[in-house]
Amino acid sequence: MNESTNEFYNVYEVFSKKTDKSPFQHSFSLLAPNADMALIMAKENFFRRETVADIWVVKRENIRGLNQDEREMLKRLDKQYRETKGYGYLKKKWRDYNQEQFTEQHILGGRGDNS
Amino acid sequence: MTQETLKPQEKKALIELLYQLADDDFLLAFRGSEWLGLAPHIEEDVAFSSISQDMMGHANLYYNLLEILGEGEADRIAHLRSPNQFRNAIILEEVNGPGTYLKEPDYDWAFTVVRNYFYAVHKHIRLDSLRHSSYEPLAEAARKIMTEQYYHLMHWEIWFKQLMTSTDEATLRMTAAIQKVWKDFGGVLTLGPYYEDIVKANFIDDENVMKKRWNNKIEAVLKEVGASYPGEPRMERGNGRNGVHTEDLKQATSTLSEVYATNPATGW
Amino acid sequence: MTVGMSFNQLSEDEKMTHFLDRINAGEKIEPDDWMPEDYRLQLIRLISMHGISEIMGALPEKEWVPKAPSLHRKLAIMAKVQDEMGHGQLLLRVAEDLMAPLGKNRHDIMEDLFSGKLKFHNVFHMDAPTWGDAGIIAWLVDGAAIISQSMMLDSSYGPYARALKRICAEEVFHAQHGESIILAMAEGTPEQREMLQDSLNRWWESLIMFFGPKSAKETGNSNADKNIMYKIRTKTNEDLRQEFFTKYIPRIWSLGLTIPDDTIRFDEDSQMWIYKDADWSKFKQIVSGNGPQSQNRLDLRRRSYKNNEWVRAALAAKKAI
Ligand SMILES: [Fe+2]
Ligand SMILES: [Fe+2]
Repeated sequence: MNESTNEFYNVYEVFSKKTDKSPFQHSFSLLAPNADMALIMAKENFFRRETVADIWVVKRENIRGLNQDEREMLKRLDKQYRETKGYGYLKKKWRDYNQEQFTEQHILGGRGDNS
Repeated sequence: MTQETLKPQEKKALIELLYQLADDDFLLAFRGSEWLGLAPHIEEDVAFSSISQDMMGHANLYYNLLEILGEGEADRIAHLRSPNQFRNAIILEEVNGPGTYLKEPDYDWAFTVVRNYFYAVHKHIRLDSLRHSSYEPLAEAARKIMTEQYYHLMHWEIWFKQLMTSTDEATLRMTAAIQKVWKDFGGVLTLGPYYEDIVKANFIDDENVMKKRWNNKIEAVLKEVGASYPGEPRMERGNGRNGVHTEDLKQATSTLSEVYATNPATGW
Repeated sequence: MTVGMSFNQLSEDEKMTHFLDRINAGEKIEPDDWMPEDYRLQLIRLISMHGISEIMGALPEKEWVPKAPSLHRKLAIMAKVQDEMGHGQLLLRVAEDLMAPLGKNRHDIMEDLFSGKLKFHNVFHMDAPTWGDAGIIAWLVDGAAIISQSMMLDSSYGPYARALKRICAEEVFHAQHGESIILAMAEGTPEQREMLQDSLNRWWESLIMFFGPKSAKETGNSNADKNIMYKIRTKTNEDLRQEFFTKYIPRIWSLGLTIPDDTIRFDEDSQMWIYKDADWSKFKQIVSGNGPQSQNRLDLRRRSYKNNEWVRAALAAKKAI
C-alpha cells in the first residue's frame, strides 16, 4: 500500500459554534478518512476543554476560497450613502424640531446590540 | 436509600456492585492508557485518550462512593488491593496484545475496538438502569457518568461498523477479535455471587434483563454489518466477580501501584 | 504597494519585495499566498521538527502514565501527554499544508522520522527512569518549551501562530501540573527529595541543550538567524536560555535544590547568567539518533505505525455506509 497517495489522509476543516446563539467559526483542520471519523476526532482534538454547541466538518476540497490575486476583489471605496455615518447631519435637523435623533437602540425598539 | 438506611446485607451487596462498576472502568481505562501514543493515527490517539480519562474518572467516582461506605481511601482501594480482591470482568483486564506498553507493543486494534464497543454498549445499558438505582448516591453518579457515555458509544460504534465493512483483511481481523471477546464477555454481563441481594435491593435491574438488552442490540448491529451472531457470550476463564483473575491482572496492578506502593502514606 | 489585479505578472524580485513588505508590516502569510521557496523550506524544517518532537515527546512521560502515584496524578498526566499528542496534531497539520505543493503528506513525515531524516528534540532522546523525571519534564522541559513557543506567537506565518496560540493556552496547565508534582516531592520524604534532586541532575545538561547552541559558529548553520529575518522567530537561542535561567533558577534554589553546575551565577555587570556550556558534540550525537532512548522510542513509533497499517488501509478503501 502506498500511504502517500491513499484516501486515509484527507484534510477536513472543522467549524464549531460556542453556544446556540453564536455563529459557526473555523476551529482548525485534521486528517481523517471520512466525515464520520472526522467528526468523532474533531470533538476531542479541538474541544476537550472548551464547550461547544455544535460541530461541522467539511472536506477541504469542497471549499472554494480566494487566492492571493482574487483577494483583490474584496477591496472597495467608501460608500457613505449606505452607512449610518453618511447621515450624521440628521441630528442637527431634528434638533430644529426640538426632537432627539433616534439612536440605534430606539430604531430597533430597544432590541439593539447590547442585549 | 441512603448510607444511613442501608441494612447490613444490603450494604454488603452494594459494596460488591460498586467494586464491579469501579474495577470494570478502571481496568479498561488502564488498558486504554497503555495505547497512548500508539494508536493508528494521531487524531485517534487524542480522541481515545479522552475516553480512557473519562473512564478512569468514572472509576474514581465509584471508588469515592466506596470510601464513603467505609472501604478506605479511594487511592488505597485502587492501588493496594491484591488481585483476588478485584471484581472486574476478566475480559477487561486482558492485555492489548503481545509485548508491553514500554517494549515491543504489538497491540491489536481490532481487539481494542471490539472490546471497547461491546463494553460501551453494556455500560450504556447498565447506566440507564443505575440512573434509577434505589441508592441515591449511585443514581446520581450514574446520571453524571451518562453524560460522557454518549460520546464513547458513538466513537466505538463508528469504528466497529467501519472496520467491519471495509477490506477483507479488516473483516478477518475483526471477526477473530469478536470470537476472542465472545469467550469471556459473559463476565461483563453478570452481577456475580451477590446477584440476588443486589437486585432485591433495587440497586440495579436484573442481570437477565440487561443481558437481553445487550444481546438484542449486538445481534442487530452484527446483522447490519453482515456478520453472524455467535450465541450467548461465554465466561470460559471464570468469573471475575468472584475474584477469579488471570496473570494479566497481576501485571496490571503491579504497574498501576508501582510508585504509590513505595510509600502510600506520603503525598505525591 | 503597487499590486493591482496582476500579482502573477510581477517579477520574482518584485514578489520578494512585496513579501518582505508584508511581513515587515506585521501581516500574516497564509498557506496559499506567494512565498519564497526558502521561507517555505525554513517553515517546513522548523514546524515538522517541532510537531514530531511533540509526538516523540509524549513517549518519555507516557512511561509514567499508568504508574502515576494516585488517581488524580494518573488522570492529570494522561491529559498532559494527550495534549502533547494534540500539539503534534496541530503542528503537523501546519507542516503538511506547507508540504502539499511538494507532493508530501503525513505518511512522508513518518517515513522521514523512521529513516532518521527528520530529527526530534534532544530532550526526548533521554531516559526518564523515575517519577521524579515526570515532574522535572513537566516543570522544566515544558517550562523551556513555553519560553521558545511563546516567542513565536506572533510568527509571520499565520497558521503557525494560530496553532501556537492553542498550544500555549494548554501549556499553562502543563506548567502547573509540573509544579504540583515537584512541590509535592520537594515537601515530601527525604527519599522523594532525593529522587527529585536526582532527576534535576539528570536533566540539567539536556535543558542547557534545549535552546540550541549560542550561535552559528557552533553548528555551522544559521537557521535561527534566517528565521529572525523572516519574522518566524524574534529571539536568539542564547536570549531564550538566559530568559529560562532568570525564570527558573531562583525557583530551583528556593526549594533547596542544587543545580549541578557550581559555576552558575548571575553576573551583575553583563546582566547575564554565567554557566557551564553543554557539550555540543554530544548534542549532535543525541539528535542524530544516538541518545540513550533514541532507538527504543523510534522503535515504539515505527512498530505501532506498521502494526496499524491495516487499519489505515481499511478506512482508506472504505466508502461511507
Ligand atoms: Fe507541547
Ligand atoms: Fe507541554
